[in-house]
Amino acid sequence: MDMTDQLQEEIDREIAANKILVYGKGTKTMPRCGFTLETIQFFEGFGFPFEVVDVLENMPKREALSEMTNWPTLPKIFINGKFYGDTDIVGPMAQKGELQQILLETFGHAGEPKTTINLH
Amino acid sequence: MIDDTSLTALIRAEIPDAQVDIVDRTGTMDHFNVTVRSSAFAGKTLIEQHQLVYATLKAALKDGRVHAVELKTLLPDGNGHD
Repeated sequence: MDMTDQLQEEIDREIAANKILVYGKGTKTMPRCGFTLETIQFFEGFGFPFEVVDVLENMPKREALSEMTNWPTLPKIFINGKFYGDTDIVGPMAQKGELQQILLETFGHAGEPKTTINLH
Repeated sequence: MIDDTSLTALIRAEIPDAQVDIVDRTGTMDHFNVTVRSSAFAGKTLIEQHQLVYATLKAALKDGRVHAVELKTLLPDGNGHD
């Protein structure tokens, strides 16, 4: 098996293992790009589990992902195995309520956004 | 680093009727807000519209002339997609 196949297998496995998967620059706790941070904050607002895979230093994997999606930039969002571009795509989808519907169908239940407790 | 004229030319090479508005986000001429209006987007989903534009910028993104793009695609009459 050559390297391209190995990368593709790794990507397929990651996408299959995470209902919401973001390929980005940096990690969830330490994003290293404004757009990756923006995407993390975006999904935190929905209250569903999501994973971020850091590919900043992994050029071959970034290349494989770009070829696979016809999308040259990071971050890249996958939901339920399907590519959804970045927040320029899912942002407007959320405004129209389409994304909420997709997430509801993907997870089979409503999201649980973190609630803030106010102690007066 | 790329100037507005060159960036617009890259997009128009593939999407001839594109009206392109560019904002340099960082003053470094490599992080842009790009708005493209074109009749080529008719009947395409938002993601397909973006893929069409990104295809024109593929080389510039790969060689580093462009680092980041926040993209907006619109039909010539104003509204975006579906």
